[in-house]
Amino acid sequence: MHTGVESPQGVWWKPAHRAERRWVVIAFVWCMVLFAMMPIWHLKGGQNPSGIRAKVEPTAFMARVQEFINAYQVGEEAGIPIVAPPPGSDIYLLAMQYQWRPILRLQKDVEYTLHLSSLDVNHGFSVSPINVNFQVIPGYDYGLRVTPTAVGDFRIICNEFCGIGHHLMLGKVIVEEQGGAQ
Amino acid sequence: MNGTFRTCPTTGLRVHSQADALIKANAVVATVTLLIGGIAALLVLLTRWQAVHLLGDQMFYRMLTVHGMNMLIFFILFFEMAVLYFASAVLLNSRVATPKLAWLGFVLMVVGAALVEWMMFAGKADVLFTSYVPLKADPLFYLGIILFAVGAIFVVSIFFATLVIAKREKTYTGSVPLVTFGAATAAIIAVITLGHGAGIYIPTFLWSLDLMNVDPQVYRLVWWGLGHASQQINVAAMVSIWYLLGALTIGSVVLNEKVSRSAFALYVLFISMASAHHLLVDPGFGPTWKVWNTSYAMYLAVLASMIHGFTVPAGLEVGQRLRGYTKGLFEWLKRAPWGDPGFSALVLSVIIFGFIGGITGVTFGTEQINIIAHNTLRIPGHFHATVVGGTALAFMGVTYYVLPLIFRKQVAFWPLAKIQPYIFAVGMLIFSTAMTFAGTFGVPRRHYDITFAGAPFDVQFNPSVDLVMTIMAIGGLIAAVGGAIYILVTVWSVFLGRPMPQEA
Amino acid sequence: MGMYGVPQGVSNPPQPVPQGTELEEKGFGGQAPGTMVLVLVFLLAFVVYYFVNWKLLSVLWRIG
Repeated sequence: MHTGVESPQGVWWKPAHRAERRWVVIAFVWCMVLFAMMPIWHLKGGQNPSGIRAKVEPTAFMARVQEFINAYQVGEEAGIPIVAPPPGSDIYLLAMQYQWRPILRLQKDVEYTLHLSSLDVNHGFSVSPINVNFQVIPGYDYGLRVTPTAVGDFRIICNEFCGIGHHLMLGKVIVEEQGGAQ
Repeated sequence: MNGTFRTCPTTGLRVHSQADALIKANAVVATVTLLIGGIAALLVLLTRWQAVHLLGDQMFYRMLTVHGMNMLIFFILFFEMAVLYFASAVLLNSRVATPKLAWLGFVLMVVGAALVEWMMFAGKADVLFTSYVPLKADPLFYLGIILFAVGAIFVVSIFFATLVIAKREKTYTGSVPLVTFGAATAAIIAVITLGHGAGIYIPTFLWSLDLMNVDPQVYRLVWWGLGHASQQINVAAMVSIWYLLGALTIGSVVLNEKVSRSAFALYVLFISMASAHHLLVDPGFGPTWKVWNTSYAMYLAVLASMIHGFTVPAGLEVGQRLRGYTKGLFEWLKRAPWGDPGFSALVLSVIIFGFIGGITGVTFGTEQINIIAHNTLRIPGHFHATVVGGTALAFMGVTYYVLPLIFRKQVAFWPLAKIQPYIFAVGMLIFSTAMTFAGTFGVPRRHYDITFAGAPFDVQFNPSVDLVMTIMAIGGLIAAVGGAIYILVTVWSVFLGRPMPQEA
Repeated sequence: MGMYGVPQGVSNPPQPVPQGTELEEKGFGGQAPGTMVLVLVFLLAFVVYYFVNWKLLSVLWRIG
């Protein structure tokens, strides 16, 4: 037997011994489990990053967001409009240097299609404290079908570096019981 | 340019003087960039530790850029160039092919790196290591990276040319040793990596001059073809070093060349596509693309790592058993030379890379689980375990052999050197583990201030986050001490150290 | 000035593998039981960590 710095002489393509073969089989089976879990979760699981995806012009997306705000605005906080959209509708969130707009007021156990895009550079959509994370890219509309499953006052952190104001970028999502008061 | 040969008194190998010189030059520059990246690391750490919060915001993002560039690109690639010369010319008793071109490659890499450093420190590249378009840096930043990459391509080509020359001039018999084979797979992946690099940095350079458009999603796709593949160079190089250290420290054996070489080959075949695991929660790709490219491709590369995860320790075990350490299940490990920093670094590197780095990486690279990991501190927690606790630690371990064998210097501060791998490993273990914990609570990466002072609302992280971040900081400081000892020992040994006794 | 030293692999390089031992002739034939234990511990850790993460994911909002 030789070390890794010695040159094997002759043919080195030889059968593996039992322990090695056993481990390779075990490892391979585990790799197949790793693979299978993903399609399985698409069929049986409740969280997948599929979404309805489309390309979009950043300024066109911003206009759509403004339309959305105009239609459903119910208030304002820290200079950012609060919007209470109808259950089950398409809702919009814009990432820009350095804010998330608008603030969304959603209802628990209702599915919405949340359209995410950016006006300028990459941003990172990160809902705290539940720790849901998606990449937000200018030119791309990520339409995620989301169903909030708990009431709460959530924050949207930006976790993709977007410039000097990156750490000041903070948004809000409020989830209320169905039929909640204005 | 001709060199002369000397015969190594420890291994009997015939070492070309150009190989000696090129290894030394690359190792020294690697250590300089490690120092720069390490100081930046300390500054970043002392800022993310909110109790200290040392830097201002702009300087934080700047030092974060400096840290990433120096560690992930400059330190690791300069060190790997040294590994390539060792695995080709030295292990095969051969002369280095076209030394003039090798030196030109070295100069290009140094000039490119210097240009990038200048841009970063001058504040003209506050875009972080990934420089995601549309964040824009000065055109010279991208140009510096391109020059560096061209230099690296030269060196990689000379590696292959040296293999050809060695074969032709019959400087060895039989097949190349396993360590050389592993280095060759690292070199092949380097070609794939640098190809992606050219594919993304040349257009981005032109975009920075307003000469063309670059779509942000396409940028991420091609950049990570470079970014992930470059990490696979590091894995292949690290595993080769594992086999090398095993051989040098205890004469560990290769159980089966076919198995180990096939595992290396799997790295080459399946790594470029697996970059998809960086894009799992991106809007530009559908689930089929994501599931296919992160799994079928990556899981064969994962299989390869799990194979080496067996054959490397098993080679140590069998090597020891053949030399008489046969009692019980673990005498071979208990009676191994734990006072040899090459050996301790090897074992600690295997453990940290596998248990912390590997397990977290594969888990986070699952399409759906990525939703609770992307851009949180879980990600740097993972890659500090793989790249730092794994690759860098292995490189530190092999340095303790490079000093006497290539630099022909004894290792200074020997008692400190012996414990250095332990200090660094413990620090990195605590650091990475704490970092991944913090990320599980949603703490963001690349973020200046998680108290959100000045933001429109407040954020309440889980109450344990403060404690976990403090533990992370302590782990990082311990690792910094370990890193500082490494730099002290190596710099002193090289420049002020006691020479090895002259060969007969 | 600090003490000097070299690793034991340089000052006292490992002896070549004894040729002609029973182990050497049979090939190692699975004689790495300690490593087998270690890799099975690794696999267990992997399986546990992996499925804990699926569990963490499953308690989130529904996303599709």
